[in-house]
Amino acid sequence: MNENNIIEIRDLSIEFKLRSGTIRAVDHVSLDIPKGKVTALVGESGSGKSTLASAILNIVSAPGTIKNGSIFLNGEDILRYNANRLRHYRWSDVSMVFQAAQNALNPVMRIGEQMIETVLAHKKMGKPEIIEKASQLLDYVRLEPGRVLKAYPHELSGGMKQRVMIAFSLLLDPQLVILDEPTTALDVITQDYIFDILLKVHKEMNITMLLLSHDISVVARVADRIGVMYAGKIVELGETFEMFENAKHPYTAGLIQAAPSILDDVSENKSIKGSSPNLLNLPTGCAFHPRCEFSTDLCKLEQPRAISVGKDRLAACHLNEKGEMLA
Amino acid sequence: MTLVIVLKRIGMAFVTVCLATVMTFILLRLTPGNAIDGWARDYATQFGITLEEAYRRIAAMINYNPNEPLHEQFIRYISGLLQGNLGVSMVYQQITVNSIIANAMPWTIFVATISLLISFVIGMLLGVRMAWKRNSILEPSVSLFTVITSAIPDFIFAILLLVVFAYGLDWFPVNGAYDPFVTPGFNIDFIVSVLYYAAMPILTFVITNIGGWALMMKGNAVSILGEDYIIAAKARGISDSVIMNRYVMKNAMLPMITMLAVTFGGMLGGATLIENIFQYPGIGYFLGEATRTRDYTVMQGIMLFLSVTMIVANLIADLVYSKLDPRIKVEG
Amino acid sequence: MRGMIDFFRIICHNKRSFIGLIILVIFILMATVGPFVFKLNMTVDYNNRYLTPSFEHWLGTDFAGRDTFIQLVHGSKEVLLVGLLAAFFTLFVGALLGTISGLVGGRLDAGIMLITNLFLTIPSFPILIIMAAIFSIRDPISFALVLSAWSWPGLTRAVRSQIISLKERDFIVICKVMGMSKPHIIFKELMPSITSFLSISFIMTMRGAITGSVGIMMLGLAPYSPTNWGQMLNLAISQTGGIFNPLGFIYLFSPILCLALFQLGSIFFANGIDEALNPRLRG
Repeated sequence: MNENNIIEIRDLSIEFKLRSGTIRAVDHVSLDIPKGKVTALVGESGSGKSTLASAILNIVSAPGTIKNGSIFLNGEDILRYNANRLRHYRWSDVSMVFQAAQNALNPVMRIGEQMIETVLAHKKMGKPEIIEKASQLLDYVRLEPGRVLKAYPHELSGGMKQRVMIAFSLLLDPQLVILDEPTTALDVITQDYIFDILLKVHKEMNITMLLLSHDISVVARVADRIGVMYAGKIVELGETFEMFENAKHPYTAGLIQAAPSILDDVSENKSIKGSSPNLLNLPTGCAFHPRCEFSTDLCKLEQPRAISVGKDRLAACHLNEKGEMLA
Repeated sequence: MTLVIVLKRIGMAFVTVCLATVMTFILLRLTPGNAIDGWARDYATQFGITLEEAYRRIAAMINYNPNEPLHEQFIRYISGLLQGNLGVSMVYQQITVNSIIANAMPWTIFVATISLLISFVIGMLLGVRMAWKRNSILEPSVSLFTVITSAIPDFIFAILLLVVFAYGLDWFPVNGAYDPFVTPGFNIDFIVSVLYYAAMPILTFVITNIGGWALMMKGNAVSILGEDYIIAAKARGISDSVIMNRYVMKNAMLPMITMLAVTFGGMLGGATLIENIFQYPGIGYFLGEATRTRDYTVMQGIMLFLSVTMIVANLIADLVYSKLDPRIKVEG
Repeated sequence: MRGMIDFFRIICHNKRSFIGLIILVIFILMATVGPFVFKLNMTVDYNNRYLTPSFEHWLGTDFAGRDTFIQLVHGSKEVLLVGLLAAFFTLFVGALLGTISGLVGGRLDAGIMLITNLFLTIPSFPILIIMAAIFSIRDPISFALVLSAWSWPGLTRAVRSQIISLKERDFIVICKVMGMSKPHIIFKELMPSITSFLSISFIMTMRGAITGSVGIMMLGLAPYSPTNWGQMLNLAISQTGGIFNPLGFIYLFSPILCLALFQLGSIFFANGIDEALNPRLRG
């Protein structure tokens, strides 16, 4: 275990048994989450990033099951924790801002009550102290603590609920906060606002983050490192800047080209052709080959392994094996 | 905002009470004329007065004189009601309908409330556990139980219980509301006796109602368990028991509160047969007696009283629900 | 025709509804063919009271020496006839008012709903027995009318909400845009969409009416037919002391068992129809 890493995921596979077959949502994934940095996972919906994130909290919901692999926190595999240990680990070591943050709060309890309940589930603490801590955090995400603590979830707007969830995730001073599409379903201005707050949290409180998004351009603003996921696998991993400079996987290159940017001419944007893969019936060889303009016979036959393509960089594409570089 | 809604609901309830009053008035008008004619003739000969005088005295006793024009009948009826006077029984002419209701109602309310609480609570707990552990033996057994109990009407259950436990095994009394040798009052003997005599009617209601509550609760709880806030609570390290009680239970239970009033009304109605089978001196027993002896004033009085009770129960359920469920307030 | 075949295929495919269908068919045969096969003889024969089941008397005899099984068969005709009529009346009034209320809307809707809600807040069983006491019941039709007098409001409300939600669906809106006539839309487009709901309601109303009729008869308020199951129950309890006399148990329990079986059959069959006719639940 590397000391600089908070979480080390090793060879993790997660399967969903459906009536029509078994889906492997996460397929032998290994990933390190380094301390003090923002790591991002980018991929289309269905690429397995949310499932991977829920595995870090061990809350993969039925019918999903973790088939094999380990998730290490300080050298201990959290997948082998007993029920009580696991309950204590959740939220105090790793917390999460959910994709559907709008619905992540109990509709019949006040926000304050839910915060108190959460703290008390982990440690003995006086209610006034909890309220004070919660107020500080709410203030930090630019909400009025007095009003919000007494409110029911439905009394808040979408952006406010999102900020409540961010404050909520910091409640127990976790080592890692997972943010699952924290700005979808919000308007552009609120999105910017939320990202400002997240950057502030990251810088001032020195919180490690794992950010999940389908939009690589959004992620680029805040992430130090990016992992690109496709069909349950991490196909490329590296520093944000380097990846944008020189993508080592055609899918990453496609995502970057498809992303809107103020620098680019809109007419030059081109989306990746083809549709997301059917997980029940994946193509042979490289899962991306039917959509890839560089695909060869090898790509149809053999799955590419992830290989080192530079300092702290990995990519899983046969092109790299041949030493060819992408434009 | 909320006050306006509360007043609106109360206004609606008031209108329904008025309509129910008109309805019971019509009910009395449907009384075969000869019932009162016969009474008047008996009354005249008994007291040696004219037939007209007899009609007048009877009208004073039951707020009804079939010989008056319709609007005068209605005014007489309403003014009687406004004085809180439901008249006297046509069969037992010394006993007022008010006193019959006052003596009978507590028993019925007592049995209905206790049964409702027991069946609701047990149904809730069963339903949540069925939803929580989907593959346990609990679900098929409760479903089977529900099918059987909904196929057998409650009064049939009452007969079965009576045959088995009262006559067959002699564990429970066959009639009455308490042991006649115990002095009524706030003493242990009396309370125990009351519970003992009420056990079978309560059991009847509980058995026939549990299944419905359990299935309804299960349905709600299953959909609640799929909500994001359940997973989110799990991620926050909230323990399973807290999630079950404070999250699933509370959210799944709230929509069922309005059903409580409906079921309560159903129990008051169903009490007629069950109280007759157990000879339990509640409102339904006297209603049954009154229909058998064609005691129209008692029928009318009990009917009006039951309707008002039900309207009030519905109103309370409505208001309590909007008070308990924070989501309702905005929608109104 | 194909539709009917499909319908029965789905019913037979579902274990529950198949059992329900068999139970109902047996009861219908019992009520229609039964009375011709088994001749009723209600003369009192004190020498043969409380006989135990034998080849001659399949379920023994009652307190007056009459055959229990034959009474049960003739009772089924009474019970089913009353239930059928009551369900028919209820469905007619409920569907009519519900459709009008849902289609027309406005003041008429508000008025109908006010009356419906009034009927719903007045406890139905007490009013049933009061009506049974006031209009002395002498025949199945008057009995059915009394039973349906308080069962239509629930159906009216349900039909109304179905119609309202259907009205907003795309295909109805398209029909309107295409300028189809109102009767066409109502009878060719709307009605077929709620047939499954109406047939389930029919069975469930029938079930409720039968329970109610037996209850009223048990109280002795409609004493026109001595073989009606409710009247048998009433006699078993009041006349024979069937409750404490073990000899009368068969006479007491046979109508109870029939009633429970019929209810069970209705519930199972209604579930089956729901699956057969409701496209959402199929497949």
